[in-house]
Amino acid sequence: MEHEDPRNGESPHRSSKKPKFSSNYIPESEIRDEFSHHQPRVARINNGSFGSCPGSVLAAQRRWQLQFLRQPDEFYFNTLRNGITASRMIIKDLINADHVDEVSLVDNATTAAAIVLQQIGHSFAEGKFKKSDTVLMLHCAFQAVKKSIQAYVTRAGGSVVEVRLPFPVNSEEEIISEFKKSITEGKSNGRKIRLAIIDHITSMPSVVIPVKELVRVCREEGIDQVFVDAAHAIGSLKVDVKEIGADFYVSNLHKWFFCPPSVAFLHCKKANALSDVHHPVVSHEYGNGLPIESSWIGTRDYSSQLVIPAVLEFVNRFEGGIEGIMERNHEQVVKMGKMLAESWGTNLGSPPEMCTAMIMVGLPSRLCLNSEEDASRLRSYLRDCHEVEVPIFYQVPKDGEDGVRDNDGCITGYVRISHQVYNTLDDYEKLRDAINQIVNDGKTCKMLCIE
Amino acid sequence: MASSLHGNNTQICPNPTALNGGSAADVLSAQNQLQLQWLRQPDNFYFNQLQPKIIQSRTIIKDIINADHVDEVSIVDNATTAAAIVLQQIAWGFAEGKFCRGDAAVMLHYAYGAVKKSVEAYVTRAGGYVIEVPLPFPVSSVDEIVKEFRQALRRGKQNGRKVRLAVIDHVTSMPTVVIPVKELVTICREEGVDQVFVDAAHGIGCVDVDMKQIGADFYTSNLHKWFFCPPSVAFLYCKKSTNNSDLHHPVVSHEYGNGLAIESAWIGTRDYSSYLVVPKVLEFINRFEGGIEGIKKRNHEYVVEMGQMLVKAWGTRLGCPPEMCSSMVMVGLPACLGISSDHDALELRTCLRGKFGVEVPIYYRPPKDGEEGGVVTGYARISYQVYNKVEDYYKFRDAINQLVDNAFTCASLPIS
Repeated sequence: MEHEDPRNGESPHRSSKKPKFSSNYIPESEIRDEFSHHQPRVARINNGSFGSCPGSVLAAQRRWQLQFLRQPDEFYFNTLRNGITASRMIIKDLINADHVDEVSLVDNATTAAAIVLQQIGHSFAEGKFKKSDTVLMLHCAFQAVKKSIQAYVTRAGGSVVEVRLPFPVNSEEEIISEFKKSITEGKSNGRKIRLAIIDHITSMPSVVIPVKELVRVCREEGIDQVFVDAAHAIGSLKVDVKEIGADFYVSNLHKWFFCPPSVAFLHCKKANALSDVHHPVVSHEYGNGLPIESSWIGTRDYSSQLVIPAVLEFVNRFEGGIEGIMERNHEQVVKMGKMLAESWGTNLGSPPEMCTAMIMVGLPSRLCLNSEEDASRLRSYLRDCHEVEVPIFYQVPKDGEDGVRDNDGCITGYVRISHQVYNTLDDYEKLRDAINQIVNDGKTCKMLCIE
Repeated sequence: MASSLHGNNTQICPNPTALNGGSAADVLSAQNQLQLQWLRQPDNFYFNQLQPKIIQSRTIIKDIINADHVDEVSIVDNATTAAAIVLQQIAWGFAEGKFCRGDAAVMLHYAYGAVKKSVEAYVTRAGGYVIEVPLPFPVSSVDEIVKEFRQALRRGKQNGRKVRLAVIDHVTSMPTVVIPVKELVTICREEGVDQVFVDAAHGIGCVDVDMKQIGADFYTSNLHKWFFCPPSVAFLYCKKSTNNSDLHHPVVSHEYGNGLAIESAWIGTRDYSSYLVVPKVLEFINRFEGGIEGIKKRNHEYVVEMGQMLVKAWGTRLGCPPEMCSSMVMVGLPACLGISSDHDALELRTCLRGKFGVEVPIYYRPPKDGEEGGVVTGYARISYQVYNKVEDYYKFRDAINQLVDNAFTCASLPIS
């Protein structure tokens, strides 16, 4: 193996220990280089959906892929397991877990949800839980998680209670209050709540949820298990699994932590790790503990799980490392959000302290965004005609409530903008101008022409 | 670079200098292009490109395997995943009272380790009774296999039990033998077995794969083993029937309920490029004379030739007659090597890799009662693929001869 200068960020096998001196911080031009594979001229302000990965990490990934192809047996017997363990060790330290045995690497949060819900499903099917027992989730939980609950819980006879969170939201207290109400509902008629699924950062609409507080409430209320779906968390806000105290905590590393698609970690509090949690794709490792089961689920490309050391090297080229990146992303997205809201005469979906690197910004009511189809049409139009990529949220108006208004009517649509290290002011001005143009042209969503 | 004599793990794109100027690097490069397309603008790729490209791959596979309809073809990561899909629906059958506790599932004793564990995780756990079909090895004829299978089915149906599922390998892994699946499926139908699942991990590119001819309910094969795809991609064929409409991918996405093929085409954000490169792979294959059929035929001829060369040099025997092997064959190792456990087999494999630059999996075959001393207890599973050369097999032959000449025995290996 060649011994390369780690400051070149090229060695896939070393993890950097500390941030560099200020004169060595990555310059703007190099950041542009690292993301030069992004489509030029596209205002890419949807880092939340699919994430992003710098060129140097992609190069490290390629080296791992070629190493496997070169001599796969040798790689399988001598290299793969150690590489995955090294990645898990780094994650353990990043998230303040007690022991590397608590950390499994899986493809994505969707897979982690299936793992957690399958064991719940088993308990219903095997009579450990009563049919009336409940699983609690947020109304705005990610659609894949909702379907997973249907597939594993409802099908096995369990009941589901949804927590309706207000949006726009003004304070954490609003969320905690709704959550407590739903727990009361879930426990009514002598029922037991077996699992609470809580997003750390909801997807659509995006808001930071006070998980530490909600986990505490769950413990007070005697809820069996808590699963925090933190798909967006790592690289977005500080993750301390001991502080949060959930039984299961998952976060994608390819969204905000610069890993290639795809890799996520699932943290299982030690007691759970020993129990009945399994990867649904069963290999010869079945029964050896979730981390080991997940590290071999048949022949496939595990390279995305091996590049975490290279990612650490990348983030440590920035001032303040990942903390610095998170701080600046948050500052910028709030600044840009305010800029857009002011230009459009609209609002932010949450106070700045309840967002991280993403924020919801109200769209002008004159767009008449009145359905999911309208939102989809507007998104496609922005992509095809303005080279802007941004997800759009349709806020179903509540009965009897007017909702937030701008000068012309009710605000029913929001963009979810994001900020990551590759974004520039241009990206947001492009979005700002595109929306203003549509409004000034007197067009509503339904009038937009798309392919 | 070590000589690869195995069909284990990934049989991926061969050495670019292989043959006829055909460049397998094209396939890897095409995959890289697809990866870059995603990274360039993932939302656009997700909304506009991913699904059509997966359908394109599924359609190509449907034609190759002679399936009736593209709906019957789902793409998944590997046979291990396909097994979990099929077995999970069996588990639901028990959990939901469709099956009675004690109803049986039948599988071969030589079923792949992952499949056995999957059967434990999904069938045994849910209350099913599992029967293993013992198969003789070395094996001399197809009749031996058929006989054992019939007996196992009879056991399965004892005490009023119903056999809900038969899991049959098309080409067993270790030791490797081609199983007469068409005949076994017919027997299953005669005996009223609910569902038949053929695990053909080594199927496509290795043996003849014709869904209508074989007639199973489910059939899975890896495309990264013998069909030159990068790791990893496999298909799961599900015959259209009311009997098996309830299959789901265990990783549930928003596509849940839209049919297995659609569910499998989106299981969360990940790299789907290996699923999308199938058209390019077909281009590569069709550069060879006779396409995949030609490759299959030649692989089989050469592996038999090499196998016979080795057994002659070592004074041993093949594990099965030539017509029962594919592009892999089990070759007996000299008894004096003293392979007396799975551990010995693994250590010998490591020794061959490290000291001789030979990569070949070794199988330990315990002596049976009544067998006398000097019996062959170790077999190497050699393979032949387009990148192999006769020198690879000479290297192996000479390595073993050297060990024998040096009076090497496995007993002298370090205990780890």
